[in-house]
Amino acid sequence: MNSRIRVGISEFHVARAPAVLVTYGLGSCLGIVLCDRENGVGGLAHTLLPSLRPGIREVRMSKFVDTAIRLMVEEMVLQGALRERIVAVIVGGANMFEPPGGVPANAIGTRNISAARETLQALDLPLRAEDVGGNYGRTVEFDLVSLQVAVRSVRTGDRIISI
Amino acid sequence: MTYASMTDGQLDALKEISNIGMGHAATALSQLIGETVYLRVPRITVTDIGQVPELLGGAERVVAGVTLQILGDARGNILLIFPAESALRLISRLLGKETEGMVLDELGESTLKEVGNILASAYLSAMGSLLHITLIPSIPLLAFDMAGAVVDCVLIELSQASDLALMVETEFHGKEPNLEPIKGHFFLLPDPGSLDVLLRAVGGKE
Repeated sequence: MNSRIRVGISEFHVARAPAVLVTYGLGSCLGIVLCDRENGVGGLAHTLLPSLRPGIREVRMSKFVDTAIRLMVEEMVLQGALRERIVAVIVGGANMFEPPGGVPANAIGTRNISAARETLQALDLPLRAEDVGGNYGRTVEFDLVSLQVAVRSVRTGDRIISI
Repeated sequence: MTYASMTDGQLDALKEISNIGMGHAATALSQLIGETVYLRVPRITVTDIGQVPELLGGAERVVAGVTLQILGDARGNILLIFPAESALRLISRLLGKETEGMVLDELGESTLKEVGNILASAYLSAMGSLLHITLIPSIPLLAFDMAGAVVDCVLIELSQASDLALMVETEFHGKEPNLEPIKGHFFLLPDPGSLDVLLRAVGGKE
């Protein structure tokens, strides 16, 4: 029996195989999976916002896409991951409430997705796959043994991403 | 003004105006579905945003959420949450036909939005005339999905300012002996900056 670790809103968690990291009900929030396939060190973050607004003091840095990715990489390296081997998968960033006339370009979900792509690129971490956007919620389960990311949705069914 | 520094008197005052607003909303709903609608005493909580989906019975539970922005003298959001079964029952009772499965068609969607609109308008107009301020609801938006996903979009805006949300929550349910109950949660989520406006109007001393 693998241990299941639940990642709450504004949290991230790093674990070693065997473990399953789960986060439930991502809407415009973005789930970020990072993984070093070779030695089974992986992390999952449930982020709300793209980045910290200047001038605001913030204690929970894992609330933000950019800082969560950086902190998670550091933590993974501490737990034995090799930085050069870390790859990423991002899930979520939907826009749940579609206003008539379409989703504005600066919708929070969309901004979360771009923030993740930019941060990953800046850190030179390959983005292996993404399941993002749309107008439906997602649950993410990341199994560190099979190296599979299961994306569940009540509206569109399930999808398995192999890292 | 921060949530944490509010006095008991101020919390009570907010609870009371919300209760009155909710009373009007319940009357509107009761006329719509043709049965008595019961209200629970409102709960006012300053909650960690991360905990909100738990209050609705878990992040993966399917719910219908209608959200409206509050415009006018005070800003904020209204969030109306129906568990999926209740939402479908409400639709079938209003439209006089059975809905099939757990799917929401276009007519069902607009029905729920309209219910949200009616409830929010009744609530805001009662609250506004009580406090002598103007509160106008925006057009309603709807999502039918996992509770966590539905709620996070609304809370995200709040979370830019703080990790805490002030929620005035009222649970309501209809109860006809022969009918399945319809349940819902009504949340008032004032923007942090509008809290002062509300409290001043209520007359609670700081």
